Amino acid sequence: MDSPRLSLVAVADAYAHAVCGLLTTTTDGTIVRVNATFCRWSGYSADELLDRRRVQDLLTIGGKVFHQTHLAPLLQIQRSVAEVKLDVRRRDGRKIPMLINAARYVHNGIDYDDFAFVVVTDRHKYEHELLLARQKAEAALEAQKAAEDALRLADRRKDEFLATLAHEIRNPLAPLRTVIEVFRRKQFTDPQVLWSRDVLERQVTQIARLVEDLLEVSRIAEGKLEIRAASVNLATIAREAVETSRSIIDASSHNLAISLPDEPLVVSADPMRLSQVIQNLLNNAAKYTPAGGSIWLNVCREVDEAVIKVRDTGIGIAPDHLSSIFQIFSQISAGLPHSQGGLGIGLSLVKALVERHGGTVAVQSAGTGHGSEFTVRLPVENVLGTSNSVPPCAATQHRAQRIVIIDDNEDTVTSLAMLLDLDGHETRTALDGLTGLAVVKEFVPETVILDIGLPGLDGYEVAVRIRETAPPEMTLIALTGWAQQHDMDSAISAGFDFHLTKPVDYAKLVAILARSLTKEG
Amino acid sequence: MSIQSRNNVQILGEGSVTMLFAHGFGCDLSMWRNFAPSFASRYRTVVFDLVGGGQSDLSAYNRTKYGSLSGYADDVIEIIEECAKGPTIYVGHSVSTMIGMLAAIQRPDLFLANVMIGPSPSFIDDGDYSGGFSREDIDELLGALDSNYLGWSSTMAPAIMGSPEQPELADELTNSFFRTDPEIARHFARVTFLADHRGDLSSVTTPTLIVQSSDDLLAPLSVGEYMHRNIAGSSLSIVANVGHCPHLSAPGPSKEAAEAFLGTLGY
Repeated sequence: MDSPRLSLVAVADAYAHAVCGLLTTTTDGTIVRVNATFCRWSGYSADELLDRRRVQDLLTIGGKVFHQTHLAPLLQIQRSVAEVKLDVRRRDGRKIPMLINAARYVHNGIDYDDFAFVVVTDRHKYEHELLLARQKAEAALEAQKAAEDALRLADRRKDEFLATLAHEIRNPLAPLRTVIEVFRRKQFTDPQVLWSRDVLERQVTQIARLVEDLLEVSRIAEGKLEIRAASVNLATIAREAVETSRSIIDASSHNLAISLPDEPLVVSADPMRLSQVIQNLLNNAAKYTPAGGSIWLNVCREVDEAVIKVRDTGIGIAPDHLSSIFQIFSQISAGLPHSQGGLGIGLSLVKALVERHGGTVAVQSAGTGHGSEFTVRLPVENVLGTSNSVPPCAATQHRAQRIVIIDDNEDTVTSLAMLLDLDGHETRTALDGLTGLAVVKEFVPETVILDIGLPGLDGYEVAVRIRETAPPEMTLIALTGWAQQHDMDSAISAGFDFHLTKPVDYAKLVAILARSLTKEG
Repeated sequence: MSIQSRNNVQILGEGSVTMLFAHGFGCDLSMWRNFAPSFASRYRTVVFDLVGGGQSDLSAYNRTKYGSLSGYADDVIEIIEECAKGPTIYVGHSVSTMIGMLAAIQRPDLFLANVMIGPSPSFIDDGDYSGGFSREDIDELLGALDSNYLGWSSTMAPAIMGSPEQPELADELTNSFFRTDPEIARHFARVTFLADHRGDLSSVTTPTLIVQSSDDLLAPLSVGEYMHRNIAGSSLSIVANVGHCPHLSAPGPSKEAAEAFLGTLGY
């Protein structure tokens, strides 16, 4: 029996009528051999193609560019290209999608390129669908991105709003606090007046604390929170925090049990921030524990961690709120009665601060009505050095001074002047920079307390002008609502000796006045 | 991410003047292999990949930054500040000629000269301006690219089928040619082919050489002449070459044109 191979057509015929279009070109693309299949598909006769047209001449303009930028260089460098899909323009102008493979070979020392073309009309339709689907997906992605950008912008505006709000509230708080100090120095005897003064003081302190927390949260959101780490003894910080929170705890007649380690427990932390963490946890415990409850503060070491635990017998936390308790505004949605709810700023601040110190904070509660326990863990610093926590303030010296206060908030100026007068100082005031300069020139004070945000001539400019003529021993104290590091740096470079943030902590001011005496001496 | 690894910067030669080579669309630094080495004995020759191409750090690709050529121009300035010694002669191909031009307009102090190989300020015809293509042509091209980048993995990064005559081509450089992320390539194609920097030509103060191929579909002679007219004091050199890559296919004449131009500047 004959082999089926014997009845095959000649190779030349097989080439001519292959199931794909076949071309051979020189390296510039000139067609030097073409099969009948390609001629049939393209509508050109072999005579019209051979030596007269280049392969790129059969492409659309887009295809020509693709040939020049992709196909030709690929052939030159790699000597082969696979699965390029381009439209071939027929003699009658119609476009036919084709898939192209090509390879370069040497014959008698000359480079030639072999091309194989396959018509891919169906694949083209399919690809077209795919491209459309991708365009839709891209459009959807763009829309999503735009929506996310809008959300981020809204979120940033919210942060900016909160920061501005906090600053705006802070300003009127300054004279309120000073007025309360004035009341303290007056010998009231009427118990109702005394009670009213105490209420005023507690509530103003509470607002001030909320505003400070809000500012801190804004700083964190804006990535501006600064941590000034030092090696500190945790027990010392805990004691300071307890002192600050004591009035709130006592106000609700809670019993506070404190357990601190005997050995120094040194952590690398910003003493002010760490104290803030403990205060917030204590205040939180006091707030959410019914009057007469118990609060425990326990500081100890567990292997390489310093552990701070604050436990209370308070209202507790429902299990489904445990996971969101550290998120800002979480307590609004937690369904707590209004009187007990808050903005959730304190705990979100605790979490952010602890994390900035490389630590963790966790909460445990057996459920509503069963109290809560917050646990902060910080890495222990294994150093032998002693704590260099903030040194205690030197005993306050007191001597009457001549003081000029310049601030555009009349209440701030008047109340501060009143307070300083009560302490025996002699004061002059001004509500703008130019008047202030005149007063300083005429009164020649020992100390000038100067607001930065003055209308017209700002505080920095006023400070510079004062420094130009005033005796060098004159003390300049900057007073601002903005308390970023760069604000303080600008103040120092403008010639200020000290920088105070509104609302003025009167004790700090007194300490500065005492220190400025040393400067004179 | 250092600038050097972001842009796959490679330093080939040393000298008191730097020659920085920037490849064109769809290419990578290997496009300079027939061109750059002959300058390495005299200059500190530096080649690099545009972000998105070759061995650049693809994670640095940012659609907003690279949504216009000025994003690439900023990179060129950073590369010069980081990797160049002395003043820089910039040699750009295709789209990188515009990138270098924008960089030099922004920081003329960094550039001694600008050698533009196959430049085009705008591919699309507009009134009296003949860029070589209608908007439909460019859309068709972008469609062809879309279509081929769709099947990218098999199309543009085929296994090297061996080239015994030129074994040196079978090295990593060859393999990296066109090995671009298809999404990036599609985006870059749009940025490249829809860019219009005709308005910037009059701001050029750096001495400029335009190397124009005698037969280049992407940058026809009329475009080279337009550039020459609109860049004050520029030189135009037409090299006999078919195609858009004279530095690859006609490196000799292209090099001679560059040498002659640098000679007139005294380098």
